[in-house]
Amino acid sequence: MAEHFRGELPRLLRILAAPAGFLPLGPALTLAVRRFARRKPTVFDRLGEYGKCSFLIEPSDLDFSFLMVPDGVRSEVKCMRRRATQPADVTVRAPLLVLLGLLDGTLDGDAMFFNRAISVSGRTDALVALRNAIEDAELTPADFVGATGGLGKLVDRSVIGGLGLARRFTGSPIHGEPS
Amino acid sequence: MSLELVCPAGTPSALRAAVEAGAHSVYCGFRDETNARNFPGLNFSPDEMIEGVRFAHAHGAKVLVAINTFAKAGSMEAWKAALANAEKAGADAVILADLAVLDHAATHHPNLRLHLSVQAAAATPEAIAFYADTFGVKRVVMPRVLSVEEIAKLNAAINVETEAFVFGGLCPMTEGRCSLSSYATGKSPNLTGVCSPPEHVAYSEDRNGTATRLNGFTIDRFGAGEQAGYPTLCKGRFVAGGKTSYLFEDPVSLNAASLIAAFAKAGITALKIEGRQRGKGYVTEVVRTFRAAVDAIDAGGTEVEVGRLLAGLVEGGRQTSGAYKKTWR
Amino acid sequence: MTQTGLTLGPVLFNWSPDRLRDFYARIADEADVDRVHLGEVVCGKRQPFTDGLWPELIERLQAAGKEVVLSTLALPYNPRERASVVDFCKVGELAEINDLTALPTVAGKPFLVGPFVNVYNEGAARFLAGRGATGICLPVELPIASVAIIAGALPDVEFELFAFGRLPLALSGRCYHARLHGLHKDGCQFVCDRDPDGLPVDTLDGQQFLAINGIQTLSNGVEAFCPTPEELGRLGVRRLRLSPHTVDMVAVSRLYRALLDGKASRGETLAALKGLNLPGELVDGFTRGQPGSARVEMA
Repeated sequence: MAEHFRGELPRLLRILAAPAGFLPLGPALTLAVRRFARRKPTVFDRLGEYGKCSFLIEPSDLDFSFLMVPDGVRSEVKCMRRRATQPADVTVRAPLLVLLGLLDGTLDGDAMFFNRAISVSGRTDALVALRNAIEDAELTPADFVGATGGLGKLVDRSVIGGLGLARRFTGSPIHGEPS
Repeated sequence: MSLELVCPAGTPSALRAAVEAGAHSVYCGFRDETNARNFPGLNFSPDEMIEGVRFAHAHGAKVLVAINTFAKAGSMEAWKAALANAEKAGADAVILADLAVLDHAATHHPNLRLHLSVQAAAATPEAIAFYADTFGVKRVVMPRVLSVEEIAKLNAAINVETEAFVFGGLCPMTEGRCSLSSYATGKSPNLTGVCSPPEHVAYSEDRNGTATRLNGFTIDRFGAGEQAGYPTLCKGRFVAGGKTSYLFEDPVSLNAASLIAAFAKAGITALKIEGRQRGKGYVTEVVRTFRAAVDAIDAGGTEVEVGRLLAGLVEGGRQTSGAYKKTWR
Repeated sequence: MTQTGLTLGPVLFNWSPDRLRDFYARIADEADVDRVHLGEVVCGKRQPFTDGLWPELIERLQAAGKEVVLSTLALPYNPRERASVVDFCKVGELAEINDLTALPTVAGKPFLVGPFVNVYNEGAARFLAGRGATGICLPVELPIASVAIIAGALPDVEFELFAFGRLPLALSGRCYHARLHGLHKDGCQFVCDRDPDGLPVDTLDGQQFLAINGIQTLSNGVEAFCPTPEELGRLGVRRLRLSPHTVDMVAVSRLYRALLDGKASRGETLAALKGLNLPGELVDGFTRGQPGSARVEMA
């Protein structure tokens, strides 16, 4: 279902995006989320008990996934090959650009769900909590890499610009236009 | 007088988004069982409410605080605290449904403006007059089962303001009178502020497609590429009399934008957008579009094509004017 | 201790005048209930067919020693329906209000509050008692813990629980019988009369789930709250309601009377109920703090 959704990365981009051999993203993302938890603890207050849940995020157009436990300063993110995927409390699967659009609030999660761009299994309540917490966080790409100040603004501009370009390039829905 | 646009805010950032997109008023609730959108991760702490009201007032918008569930027997404290916190935050009104909460508010918070929630299901001049005379209620949110003609007649027979839903999720049942969710899951809007709670929703794939189950009851199944609806009990597909159908309601969203002029003529004071569980992407888009539509009607202009503009945001990708047109029944 | 009262609630379904006349004649002569509710509660469109019937039924039931209560419409909209609510409250019999539309009419006199009025806490109950409510049948989904708290707070009010029958779960502006038959509500042809216990609604996987009755949605399961007299005493509940179905309601009333008088055990009562021709499985989740659909445990 989600595999056939418009907005998938073209094959070339997909190859470029897939890290070769091992996946070093995990430790860096873990640190970034923990740093973020120190700067914006209210986001994790909003998650409450769901901070202990494990979230498996599967970009459907990449062959690796992220396993995240968003437990504030004890957060953990693992990046793993799809084959090595382990069970999680909740699994969310969507094209990468859709997932990123949800993070920065450009796309409406419910609209994506109605359009079947996202598929969900496991503890739906945990995902709803995460979605609502992210919604309120007003996340920017800089938050993910922990950049602040002038560097942060630069990261935001370049990533958001790049995302917009990528969405136009791939026909991914912006503002939730129907597929 | 122009119509007041009342917009949803599930989080402080959605409140800011709504205000910046042109909301005249924003409604929101505290993060507990006192409001009817008690979903995980949603809603405001008392401090966030203070900040939210400050932001809205600084931008010329009002904040209406929904305390619209029925207080739990033996533990009124959360509802009393919500009323006190709303007043402390400087809320412009509170939206209430429970007789006990209304009674407490009228007695202990005489300066708070009271609105009657749709959860109170007050649909007749007699019931509305009772709430106005007894508690000093100033505005009534119309049950989503009345037609525009009926609302017009009602407005002629009462002397309080009315507010009508114009866009968003649509309850086919009379709100505040529905125990379907608690029959299936033990939790319901009246008891806990949730309907078809997410912790009881499970999706499972089988060869017939994706099944949506609510605490074990299959409420829908959709094939690849088929538009999905909210996993809400009354929006599911069921079998009755040998027919499989969306028996209660199709997966559609309410969109009464084409009736804005009729609403104004019917004497309605405010138009309400549903969706405190939706993100700021939705809020920004819907509020901006409706503000333009209301302003256009206000200026005597033509109707804005709201349906086309918002098609991608709605459940099942389809829209209905709901009970406002009698054919819905 | 006074005897626990047994009420026969209003008929929720679209029964013909003949069926209603026969039904109530037998109730008057044989049923072990002390109070009987009359009136159309669900759909105002059905009222013209039964309005003329009530005076003779009131007399028939009163002559048999039953207390008669007139139940008002749960969702009145149009002027005729609203007028009927007011008229019903003025007949002189005890009235049960199912919507606050009726409150201004009954306030100051003794009246009853039906399960369609939202009484979820002692504050709401106290408010209504202050207006004259002498008895309150609590909402079906109310947790049993809340029942005890509310009843404990107001010892002078007679609290009642919905104990037998398909549970009334929801009301709508839309008629589901008409919708299912491809009809408009205004031209519904009264197709709901084909299903005198409601029309079953199953899930796509064949699970029995709900039942429709015009604008009303009920449970498919049949509530069977069968407490011991001691349990009821602890809850502070002084009356149980039996909701009419096509099953032998005289037999149902006798089973409940024996249960409440301590002459039959819970297990015996449930086993006997199961032997009747019921429209669905026995459920009692709401009275055990569970989802309402939870099946009765026989043990």
